[in-house]
Amino acid sequence: MLVLLFILFGGLAIGCALAVVAQRNPLYSAISLVGVFISLACLYVMLAAPFIAAVQVIVYAGAIMVLVVFVIMLLNVEEEERGRGRLKFLVPTAIALAAILIAEVAFILVTVQEFRVSPATGVGLTHSIGSQLFTRYLLPFEITSILLLMAIVGAMTLARRGGLLSPNARVIPGVTTLPRSLVDPKAAPDDLRAVEADSTGGAARLLGLTDLRSQAKREES
Amino acid sequence: MDTAIDIVLKFVAISVAFVVVLLVVAYTVLAERRVLGFIQGRLGPNRVGYGGILQPFADLLKFILKEDIVPDKSTRFIYFLAPVIATMAALMTMIVYPFGPDIRIPFTSITIPLTIARLDIGLLYVLGITSIGVYGIMLAGWSSNNKYSLMGGLRSSAQMISYELALGLSLIGAILLAGTLDLGQVVEQQSGWHGLRWLIFFQPLGFIIYMISAIAETNRVPFDLPEAETELVAGFHTEYSAMKFALFFLAEYINMFTVAMLATTLFLGGWNMPFAESLFGRGTFLFGLVSALGFLLKVVLILFLYIWLRGTLPRFRFDQLMNFGWKILLPLALLNIFLTATAIFLFPNFF
Repeated sequence: MLVLLFILFGGLAIGCALAVVAQRNPLYSAISLVGVFISLACLYVMLAAPFIAAVQVIVYAGAIMVLVVFVIMLLNVEEEERGRGRLKFLVPTAIALAAILIAEVAFILVTVQEFRVSPATGVGLTHSIGSQLFTRYLLPFEITSILLLMAIVGAMTLARRGGLLSPNARVIPGVTTLPRSLVDPKAAPDDLRAVEADSTGGAARLLGLTDLRSQAKREES
Repeated sequence: MDTAIDIVLKFVAISVAFVVVLLVVAYTVLAERRVLGFIQGRLGPNRVGYGGILQPFADLLKFILKEDIVPDKSTRFIYFLAPVIATMAALMTMIVYPFGPDIRIPFTSITIPLTIARLDIGLLYVLGITSIGVYGIMLAGWSSNNKYSLMGGLRSSAQMISYELALGLSLIGAILLAGTLDLGQVVEQQSGWHGLRWLIFFQPLGFIIYMISAIAETNRVPFDLPEAETELVAGFHTEYSAMKFALFFLAEYINMFTVAMLATTLFLGGWNMPFAESLFGRGTFLFGLVSALGFLLKVVLILFLYIWLRGTLPRFRFDQLMNFGWKILLPLALLNIFLTATAIFLFPNFF
């Protein structure tokens, strides 16, 4: 029974992983990746680690991949054309790396004769993970959270740099389209300062830029 | 051999639970139409059967017999997959809820647990499966090749990601008090005070945040922006017809039902009815029956609250929705966790 389930979910994981690489349409690749995550979660459940399985589904399938699919849908990425000349060296590299990986697995299968199955210790249960995480592995846990915080701050900084406007400036989407030279951080003046204004036009006047809309028109023509 | 019997029994239990849930869902739809009719001063469907009691079956028949229209330029495979994902994810959460205590069949010594599966990670399972459900709506919006559908899909994914955070965080206070993620144990712990030691009395703020974000998670009024009729025709299911539309419809109502069950389980004491234990004694058939009916009653009351809200409130604007979720609900949920943790730290014996 367990072997059958293992073959089912393992096969599903491998099939979905192949589909991630093989699909031309990025959305299909993303959905296949969701399939990989879900089959991996099923394998975790079979390894008596339900907590890790649940976290796998919630974090990867439920949050990260939703964002990826969201971006693909938002940008409406077209299907990749077949046979682009760019990045050709990647194909042999990928084959070489895959060969190394398969060789490693084969090596393990050949050398390790005896598979020892440790008795179920409740390692994957909520209680044991929680107590270990907050006692023995507290420092790595906290360092990881600081890493995540840094990533958030970094993303915020990158997103803010583009905008010349203060957080209080209310920009109504669709009313004014900012020309690329204005939102490009390189095009911003050196003495970048935050201003407070009620509208895009007001902010532009405070910043000493001429009316953004007329500038945008000039950019276009 | 025993495992085979076990598997068959589980299948029977799952089928029974699904049939019961689908029946309740079908009559929720009818109740919604009748109650909305009452609120808006009209009759609602009352012609099929006595007082419209057969209306759900008539609707079902209509859905099956309607022509199934598939848009030419749609992405076929995903277009068919999307309603299946939505319905399956909605139904899958059903197996972890404790519908009642262990019930003993009269004149025999056989006891049946009224839970299909007791999982150590029950609550996380529910949250995980719910987070899969958003793919159904997103992919439906994308694969229909229609700009209204796409807008609906995008809105719904943004909305569900945002409110999932507040929803998950609002549950942490209750989980801190219960000390377990197993929904069965959470209910057992609320059986003190003659069956009235409900977590809502310790977690009023958490309950309110949960209810609001649950409405947003299920895309109901006043947060039904993914299918805002006045702006997006019908949102993500504009291009769906016949049974595929019915599946989305079904998924929405099952989701309503599951969030109502989760609220009941975590905050309203699950199947604990006041004084049921002292009246009937634990483990008797009557106790089991009264408890299971009490669970259903609480769920139905929450469903009625949903319908009431739908008849009362206007729809949010999208930026208001986002601001409300991120700037009000999320900080409040964090505050709730902070207060609960502090209270547990200061009075460890009280809880």
